[in-house]
Amino acid sequence: MSYVIAEPCIDQQDQSCVAVCPVDCISADPASDRKFYIDPDGCIDCGSCETACPNQAIFRSDQLPPEWARFALVDATWFSDPARARRAVDELLPAA
Amino acid sequence: MTRIATGAAVLDPVRPAGPRALAGGGAPGVFTPNATLVRRLDLTASVARFVVRRDGPAIPHVAGQYLALGIWADGRLLQRPYSTASPPSASGELEFLIRRVPHGALTPRLWELPRGARLRLGSPKGLLTLDPRRDRAAVFAASGTGLAPIISMLAAVLAGPAEACPPRLLVLHGVSYVAELAYRGRLERWAAIHPGLAYEPVISRPGDPLNAGWNGAVGHLDLALDAAWQRHRLDRQRTVTYLCGNPEVIAAATRLLAARGVPPDAIVAERYWTTPNTGPSALDRAS
Repeated sequence: MSYVIAEPCIDQQDQSCVAVCPVDCISADPASDRKFYIDPDGCIDCGSCETACPNQAIFRSDQLPPEWARFALVDATWFSDPARARRAVDELLPAA
Repeated sequence: MTRIATGAAVLDPVRPAGPRALAGGGAPGVFTPNATLVRRLDLTASVARFVVRRDGPAIPHVAGQYLALGIWADGRLLQRPYSTASPPSASGELEFLIRRVPHGALTPRLWELPRGARLRLGSPKGLLTLDPRRDRAAVFAASGTGLAPIISMLAAVLAGPAEACPPRLLVLHGVSYVAELAYRGRLERWAAIHPGLAYEPVISRPGDPLNAGWNGAVGHLDLALDAAWQRHRLDRQRTVTYLCGNPEVIAAATRLLAARGVPPDAIVAERYWTTPNTGPSALDRAS
């Protein structure tokens, strides 16, 4: 189990989650990414990011709303293939 | 974390995307220790103060913040966040108040570490920090090891300029056993020196033989906090309350404060683990 950042983060990127994550497992490239990503291997399930997020974008992976279920894979993918994760984000919510 | 008070977080730089971002300072299969265990001071068999020295210069933290403390175990970096009891200083030493969790992933291993063991310390994080409105009274209520960040904050304000110190400081510490009253001597000394500081420990199991001879306050912390509000005649518009530790105690205390009309922005809370009834925690220490 880990936490996952879902659609409400896209094009928002508030960064409150980054400020509170005790293990620095939330990342993004500000030049290329439209959202933040949680490393499922680094996440310790503390939930601090979920509480801190002003956009209600973060969920436990087992509590993701069904319409955002793919974001679990998107987050995990970013840490091995960021370009693929970005394409998936654009497919899930095309840029305005 | 339930930071309902004011104050913006200082954001860490966003790490660039790479082949794989480093989680907590270490790539898979690589342990990059940056700190050393200096000593462990046992309060009981299951509660101890750990003193850790970071390599190189101290990394500034804000009083009340937490850091991830990690060891190498089973081929991976195993880490959990702990609030430091140390105030910001240049010494590079940080102290943590830790409860050993039976069958936990990390803490039983921490107790096995010898002096000089190498550790991984993360960067300071967290929003349980002093409210900038220093003209307000500050009430600190901690359960168990939740006292650590409060010690850090108190040490910082008592060592700082008088105008930055709240006019009244009330510290309530709730524990099960007298021996778990960490920093009791320090708090009693502070209370003796500083007229505006009151220290009120509370024991929740007064009937236990281990607490024989205790003649101080007894009961649950949330109720003790509620009573203290009345006894000290605190002004709900001129007081900030800091809650730290057991999430159920925090939830109960928050309800009582709300019933007293304390505004949400005057409550700063940090829960140490997750329960189904209280939602996510900031710091899951249950291992």
